[in-house]
Amino acid sequence: MSDRETVDFLGSVPLLEGREEADIVELARVMRRRTVQEGELLWRQGDDAREMVFVVEGVLSASLQLPGNRSVVIGSAGPGEAVGEIALLDGGGTTMSVRATETTTVLALGRMDFAALLAPLDPPAFALRRRLASLLSSRHRSQLRHLALSLGGDVDPPAEDAARTFSELEYCGPPDGTYLKRMATFHDFDSLALWGFLTSGRYARCPAGRTLVAEGAPSTACYLTINGAVEKVLARGDRRIRVGLAGPGKAFGYESLIDGQPSPVTAVTRERALMLVLPREPFEQLFNGEDAVSRVFLDVILRDLVAALRQALRPHARLAASL
Amino acid sequence: MCRILAYLGEPLSVEHLLFDTDNSLVRQSYSPRMMNTFLNLAGFGLKAWDPTSLRPEDPFTYCATTQPSFDRNLRFISAKLASSCLVAHVRGVTYSGEAVVADTNLHPFHFAGTRVVLAHNGHLRQFARMRYSLLDHVRPELAQRIEGTTDSEWIYALVLSQLDDPYGLPEANELADATANALRILRKVRAAHGIDTSSPVNLCVSTGRAVVATRVSFDYGWYPPDDDMLETDLPFVSLWYAIGGEYTERDGHWQMTAGEPPRSVIIASEPLTADFSTWLEVPEYSMLTAELTPAGIAFDTRDLDV
Repeated sequence: MSDRETVDFLGSVPLLEGREEADIVELARVMRRRTVQEGELLWRQGDDAREMVFVVEGVLSASLQLPGNRSVVIGSAGPGEAVGEIALLDGGGTTMSVRATETTTVLALGRMDFAALLAPLDPPAFALRRRLASLLSSRHRSQLRHLALSLGGDVDPPAEDAARTFSELEYCGPPDGTYLKRMATFHDFDSLALWGFLTSGRYARCPAGRTLVAEGAPSTACYLTINGAVEKVLARGDRRIRVGLAGPGKAFGYESLIDGQPSPVTAVTRERALMLVLPREPFEQLFNGEDAVSRVFLDVILRDLVAALRQALRPHARLAASL
Repeated sequence: MCRILAYLGEPLSVEHLLFDTDNSLVRQSYSPRMMNTFLNLAGFGLKAWDPTSLRPEDPFTYCATTQPSFDRNLRFISAKLASSCLVAHVRGVTYSGEAVVADTNLHPFHFAGTRVVLAHNGHLRQFARMRYSLLDHVRPELAQRIEGTTDSEWIYALVLSQLDDPYGLPEANELADATANALRILRKVRAAHGIDTSSPVNLCVSTGRAVVATRVSFDYGWYPPDDDMLETDLPFVSLWYAIGGEYTERDGHWQMTAGEPPRSVIIASEPLTADFSTWLEVPEYSMLTAELTPAGIAFDTRDLDV
C-alpha cells in the first residue's frame, strides 16, 4: 500500500470524513500498516489497550469470553470500519477479543496519537467527537437490537407514559456545587466550562417507577442523573432485560437526539431521581457547539456511551453463558 | 466497605480461594481493584464446610482482626482445608476513631446452634437512628445474642428471624425468601425514620448447602452533604460470579472450567483474577441462589424488588 493509497483510504473512512487532506497526510505518517493472518488474534479481551485499527481489507470478528473457556462472536468489522476505540476512550481493558476471520490488512493508530486527535478545541476534533458519538450510538443500538431479539415479541408501547412523565416533572434549583465537583464524571473538567454545561438545562425531580424514555418512540430530552438511579430496560410483555443503570453522573435518552431515530431502550426511574434535563434545543446547541462547554458535554456523552456499551455486554454474556 | 467471597461446589483448597489468584480475597484487603482507594483493614473472617471433617454440618471458623496477608496461621490452615462451601469476608471501615475494630464485629456472623451464616458488603447509613426499631422484627432470643456494634449483625438476626425455624437447615428458596423479607423490613423501618440516603446491602447468606447473595442498595444515588464515603459509594457496590465445572489453574491462569450442569460456583465482590473476562457481573437489584443437589449446582438469578 503506497503512501498515496493510505491517504486515499483514510480519506474514505467515515470516522475521519471531512478532515483536511493535510491532516490526513499527517495522520497517515503516524499509522502503522499490518497484515493479520486468518485466525490470528489482534488482542485478547481485557488486555491493556494500545491501539485502535481501521480495516483496510478483510474482516475482523469480535468475540466475548464466557466462563468455561468458551466465547461468542458479537460482531464483525469490514473495510473502512474501526475497531478498538472504546478502550482507548475510557482507559479500561479491551472489551472483546478481536481476530482476523480471513487475511486482513489494518492500519493501526496508537493510544497517544488517538488522544492527540481528540485533544484540540478545533473544528476537526469536534467533528471527530460527534462522529464517535454517532458511531458508538449506532453500535449501542445494534447491541440492544440483538438483545431484544432474544426476548421475541413486539415492543410495548409506553410512549404516552414517557410524555406524561416529562410534562409532570417537578423542576427545582441546581444541586449543591460541592457534591457535583466530587462526582467522578466531572473530576477532569475545567470548573468554568463544567459550570457552563451544568447550567445549560433545568433540574427536575422524578419519583421512582416512572417511564422517562420509551423504546420505539422519539426521546423528548437527554437526561443526566445527579441523584438516584434510572434503569434502562428492554421489555416484551412480561419478559425484560435490564441493560444498564444510570446512577449519578450517567446520562440517558440521548441516542434518539443524536441520530433522529426512535429510542432503542426504555428508561424508568428505579429510585427517586434528581436529573439535569436537556430538551432537544439545548442538546443540539451543546452537541453542535465548538467551545469549551460543548467539549465538556461531548466528553460526558462519549464516556457515557462507552460505559453503556460495556454495560450492555453484561446481559450479552449472561445470555450466551446460559445457552 | 468490605469484600465478600462465597464458594459452593466440589471440595476446593481454601488456599486457592484466599491466596493463590492474582486478585484473591486476601489481596483485596489491601489492594481492591473496584473500590477506589478504600482498603479493608479491619479484620478477616471465614466459615468453611469440609465434608470430611468431624460434624461436617458445622463450618470451620477462623477470624482475626489482624491483616490476613500477614496471618501465617490463616495461610497454614488454608493449605490444609478443602471446602465444599465457604463464606469469607475482609472488613473495611471508615478511617476514624468511631469505627470499632473488634472480634465481635467480624463477619460472617453465626449464632451458636444455628445453621445459617451471613456476611455483608455495604453499610446502612444512619443505622443508630433505626437500630432499636428492628427489635419489633427480631426474635428476642436472637436479639439477645447480638454482641457487636455493626449493622450487619442486626441484619443477620433479622434474616434468621424470618425463617420458620432459625435453628433449622433451610433450603435455598426459604433462605432467599427470608433474606428478601428482611430487606423489605429494613426498607420499611428506614422509611419510618425518614432515612433516605444510599445504603448498599450486598449480602451473602449460607447454610453450607446453599448460598444466597444479593446486590442491592436502598436509595442508591442519594448522599448526605459532605459525606466521607461519597466517592466510594457513587458506583453501585459490585458483585460477580463464575460458574462451571471446577476452579483450577491452567497454564498459569486460574479459571472456571466448563461444566453442564455446573458443579462449582464462586460469588465475590470482585473477580479473583485481574483478567475478569470469564466472570459475569451480577445485575444491580438482583439476588443469586445456589444450592448443592445430587445433579450438581442448582443456580438462579432473579430481580430483587424490595
